[in-house]
Amino acid sequence: MQEKENVLRILQETKAAIRDNDSLKLKELSNQTIHTASIAQDPDNIAVAVAVYSLSKIVERKEYRTFTGWENFYKNILFAVDNSIIAIRKNDDRKLKESLMSIRKSVSKLSGKLKGYIQDVFRKAEINKASKIYEHGISMEKTASLLGITMFELASYAGQKPDGEAPLSKTIDVKTRIKTAMDMFK
Amino acid sequence: MKTIIFDSSTLINFAINGLLQEFRELKKLFDGKFLITREIVGEIIDKPIKIKRFELEALKLKELITDRILEMPSALGIDENKISKKTNEIMNVANNTFFGQGNAIHIIDVGEASCLALSRLLNEKEIKNLISVDERTVRLLCEKPENLFAIFQKKLHTDLKFKKENFRNFKEFKFIRSTELIYIAYKKGIIQLRNHQNVLDALLYAMKLNGCSISDDEISEMKRL
Repeated sequence: MQEKENVLRILQETKAAIRDNDSLKLKELSNQTIHTASIAQDPDNIAVAVAVYSLSKIVERKEYRTFTGWENFYKNILFAVDNSIIAIRKNDDRKLKESLMSIRKSVSKLSGKLKGYIQDVFRKAEINKASKIYEHGISMEKTASLLGITMFELASYAGQKPDGEAPLSKTIDVKTRIKTAMDMFK
Repeated sequence: MKTIIFDSSTLINFAINGLLQEFRELKKLFDGKFLITREIVGEIIDKPIKIKRFELEALKLKELITDRILEMPSALGIDENKISKKTNEIMNVANNTFFGQGNAIHIIDVGEASCLALSRLLNEKEIKNLISVDERTVRLLCEKPENLFAIFQKKLHTDLKFKKENFRNFKEFKFIRSTELIYIAYKKGIIQLRNHQNVLDALLYAMKLNGCSISDDEISEMKRL
């Protein structure tokens, strides 16, 4: 994993934010993970980005706490975050990988409506993080493959986000490109 | 002979927008071949066909191959092994061009690289070709890599470097997007809509909102042409 110190800090703050039910803080922490995830493209960095963003959404939706299974899910998540922190401190990459995976696995232990809702949160978090990585300049296909989503999902999501880099994305003037296309159809 | 090579992003855009009939009509107007690589077939058919939400689009795209609207490079006698070899070469250069935090930033994947590889092989055979790609990274890498670097700088907030000598490897490629194709479809009268005042606007924004990298200003300019 890259930038372990930074990820350690993010996970420590994540733990505190979960306890405080602070979804805004979690969202902010999730955004801090995306630069490294874009550059290093390390699965563990990406897993942290997806997990922290998912947790921000889960904490935000207070109604989830009323569903059966919430208590155990909440405990399992905190336990997995704790284990991830310990693994980074011990420099134990294998344990870190397992702990990060167990955040995701805790969803499979759920049942009923809560399971469906939280699975959906994680799926959408993957698409959201993919669109962020794509915004950072990584290609659509590469990004989709890193996050394990399809290009169909990424294309429609990314297309609906405002393109703040529009001036930089323009390379050839409109007339020239249209002419290039038109000439091929002559 | 002339050809248009299609990246996943353009084909997915036509499929999501329900514009594959118009795509077929475009092919009828084109005196050449629409090509896709084996790697793109994987992206637009083999993977999504296993996902219920995209199964229908994948089946419709598969029909384009069955009906020979889209053809494989072998239709022009181009060997798959040569494409694979060139794809790896291109990926190797592209993914070792920009660097951050001591890492080479992997910017493109095998599908996009295979389109460039096929284009290069067609160029070697002096077969006129364009690549249709909606996503911006590959287009920027080839047309204005300095801008791609500027995006990295703006977004990544870290010390970044690039190998300028690699840029020349990508200068030979020519690109269009789904928006240029749908513009042609509109101008040639093959859009299956009555002539409402805002048809072109609707078509161009539909493409933009499903992943085509085009700005609002570019759309406005296209509408004025």
